[in-house]
Amino acid sequence: MKKYIFKRVLTSFFTLLAILLVLFILMKLMPGSPFNDEKLTVDQKEALYAKYGLDQPIVTQFFKYVGGMLRGDLGVSYNISKNTPISQLIQSRLPISIRIGGCAVGIGALVGLILGLIAALKHDTIWDSLATVISVIGVSVPSYVFALALSYTLGFKLGWFPQLFSKNDIFGSSVLPSLSLSMFTMASIARFTRSEMLEVLGSDYMLLAESKGISGSALIIRHALRNALIPIITVLAPLVVDLMTGSLVVEKIFAIPGVGSLLVNAIQSNDYNVVISLSFIYSAMYILIMLVVDILYGIIDPRIRLAKKGD
Amino acid sequence: MKKRNTVLAVVLAAAMMVGLVGCGGSGNNNNSQGSSGSGENNGNGGQVVSAGGSDLNVMLETPVESLDPQQATDGTSFEVIACFTDGLMQMDAHGTAVNALAESYEISEDGKTYTFHIRQDANWSNGTPVTAADFVFAWQRAVDPAVASEYSYMLSDIGQVVNAEAIIAGEKDKSELGVTAVDEKTLEVQLNVPVSYFLSLMYFPTYYPVNEEFFNSCGDVFATSPETVLSNGAFILDSYEPAATAFHLTKNPDYYDAARVQLPGLNYQVIQDSQQALMSYQTGELDTTLVNGEQVDQVKDDPEFTTIGAGYLWYVSPNMGTVPELANENIRMAMTMAIDRDAITNDVLKDGSKATYTAVPMDFAAGPDGSDYAGDQSRYSDVCAYDTAQAAEYWATGLEELGVSTLSFEMVVDADDAPQKVAQVLKEQWETTLPGLTVTLKVEPKKQRVEDLQNGNFQLGLTRWGPDYADPMTYLGMWITDNNNNYGLWSNAEYDAIIAECTTGALCTDPEGRWARLYDAEKLVMDEAVIYPLYTQCNAEMMSSSVTGVEFHPVALNRVYKSAVKAK
Repeated sequence: MKKYIFKRVLTSFFTLLAILLVLFILMKLMPGSPFNDEKLTVDQKEALYAKYGLDQPIVTQFFKYVGGMLRGDLGVSYNISKNTPISQLIQSRLPISIRIGGCAVGIGALVGLILGLIAALKHDTIWDSLATVISVIGVSVPSYVFALALSYTLGFKLGWFPQLFSKNDIFGSSVLPSLSLSMFTMASIARFTRSEMLEVLGSDYMLLAESKGISGSALIIRHALRNALIPIITVLAPLVVDLMTGSLVVEKIFAIPGVGSLLVNAIQSNDYNVVISLSFIYSAMYILIMLVVDILYGIIDPRIRLAKKGD
Repeated sequence: MKKRNTVLAVVLAAAMMVGLVGCGGSGNNNNSQGSSGSGENNGNGGQVVSAGGSDLNVMLETPVESLDPQQATDGTSFEVIACFTDGLMQMDAHGTAVNALAESYEISEDGKTYTFHIRQDANWSNGTPVTAADFVFAWQRAVDPAVASEYSYMLSDIGQVVNAEAIIAGEKDKSELGVTAVDEKTLEVQLNVPVSYFLSLMYFPTYYPVNEEFFNSCGDVFATSPETVLSNGAFILDSYEPAATAFHLTKNPDYYDAARVQLPGLNYQVIQDSQQALMSYQTGELDTTLVNGEQVDQVKDDPEFTTIGAGYLWYVSPNMGTVPELANENIRMAMTMAIDRDAITNDVLKDGSKATYTAVPMDFAAGPDGSDYAGDQSRYSDVCAYDTAQAAEYWATGLEELGVSTLSFEMVVDADDAPQKVAQVLKEQWETTLPGLTVTLKVEPKKQRVEDLQNGNFQLGLTRWGPDYADPMTYLGMWITDNNNNYGLWSNAEYDAIIAECTTGALCTDPEGRWARLYDAEKLVMDEAVIYPLYTQCNAEMMSSSVTGVEFHPVALNRVYKSAVKAK
């Protein structure tokens, strides 16, 4: 297992380097430049390029950037917050995004699991149909539509929750964004849980377990849910990433000072360093989650772990 | 079996904990922060009422890009910087330059030397006095090639400060800039030529002072937090982080003009979603907010709805340099006369924008007699008006001269909402009035569109220009030969001569003569249809009826809150 993890970490490192290179090339292919205001003259633009080292060959820029990154220097912002070190920009924002994202995953996974369980156990009843309708809506309606709808109803009309993020009421103002972000996760998890559970419930070993006299919740949790959980965890991981992309728009709507809204602004103004740093952090988080999921498999399903040992 | 159970239990428990801890954790956090936060608020509220009002809640469309006066380039940043920093001069309600940090000033007879006397009671918020050296330091920063300030041209091309141009080009040391601290409170400025609008430049943030000692103590993080900015103005920044979505300023009790400042503080909230902004206004969380074109119908009958001039001139630039068909004057005349500008402002934009028939937009530059330069919109009605018959005539002549019966042009347009709609209407109007014309639209991100225009890589371009200072030259200076923003590559020796005469020549010291001559220059632009002016942009806003005294300006500082009062 240790060897396996070591191998995976090493692969992850090189994957990240490759991602960084691709990001760099993509940035250079992006139309326009960070300094493309109509008021700038050619000389000024050259001076700015020289100041930030953008006049050097792309290979030099790349290695300089990687070098800086290894020392923990992510560079400075060119225009969304001029000359501010990106580490300073991200510092206070990342925890906010992670907190809201974490809440969304938590709510989504929990509610989704319950919905899926109900649908599977009450198969072909009104409950099943209801859960299916909810999950179809959740999957097909984008999170920003939920965001606007929730903000209008619960925020504007009823006044239960603040419409905009406020540092004085982080809990209250996190509710609406977390809810809107959790819809997709919830719906996907509910659908997967339902179908996996149905499959497991109809299998021979369930029949065997039942005939051995195991009944009720023990049967469902120990025998059915556990086997159904593996595919669910597999979809949960990419869902976490969907959440990050969803947060780009939702953060903008609720004026949340997170990394998502920062990334949107940075992309729109060609702020290279900010875009690269944030995309890189997103990629790193994705890879980390995948790694955790793979390790989790082994814990949930000993067969996977044993297979590795057998190798 | 037993082992399996334990594992399962652990996994499930972990999964649930992730969810619960994630939310619960934040809950705890928030509860404590929330209660203390609201406690503070109440405290503030109490004090505030006794001070006569409460904080003004202001909406911003975009986050602040920089609080460093020599690095900032956008209107949002300028507005916020001006809340906590004063320059030598400030704008009065009508945009005229009046004394701020300067108590008095003298202008030499040749108009090339300005001597400013700084107020004795002007201090920075750390207690040190504002001195002439602060200005020298800041202005030298503005032209320092190492700083690479994007607005350095405010000192060189526009301000004509001695040696600014050579310093920016790296030919001279920044210490040779034509600005000296005669003594602690006296600043002397040398100009290359008399600049009639020089005093009005003093309220532009690029010219604001920076305390050298404080700047050096901040290192690389100057102006990125309340601890790294100094105030000498009406307010003090007390909560801010780079690219913040919300921040706060509080009244500066030591401001030399503190008696004038009525607001206890300013609450800035960045909202990038227009629906959210309007709803926040309606719930009373905001005292003022921008309204977009689609929302105007919804709120236009509200007495709190208002439109405010933004100064921008939107126009179409035909590329005469590289597109032979557009080099034909009759074709250009036909196109500009086929545009129904009123339809664009009244039916498409609906935000109060004004149809414009001059190369210099309305309401930002007042002449020696105090009247608006572009006040008379019918001045060039023989060459710029909505006249489909005349347009068709020009068009037929143009096609004949070119020996073709059909033409097709491509127009580059910003990917933003309003420009795209305007472009769509232009296309329809042109194709309806001018037989044989096909216009295709090329929608691009703004940065790319600007690059295409500057590189001459376009046929028609829908673009805009905002005034940098209150003089028609901020527009007319664009169309001289080889100017970076003369996108259409027009060149006219007579025009160049008039502009030179008015900027560095004999007319510098003759305001009336210069003013009349500027009209001669504008006439050339209009006669040859160098640009097709469309409209002067206005912003539709909601402004709470309890708020008075906010000053709006199309130039430099869009909103000034020094005299604002909020009842309640």
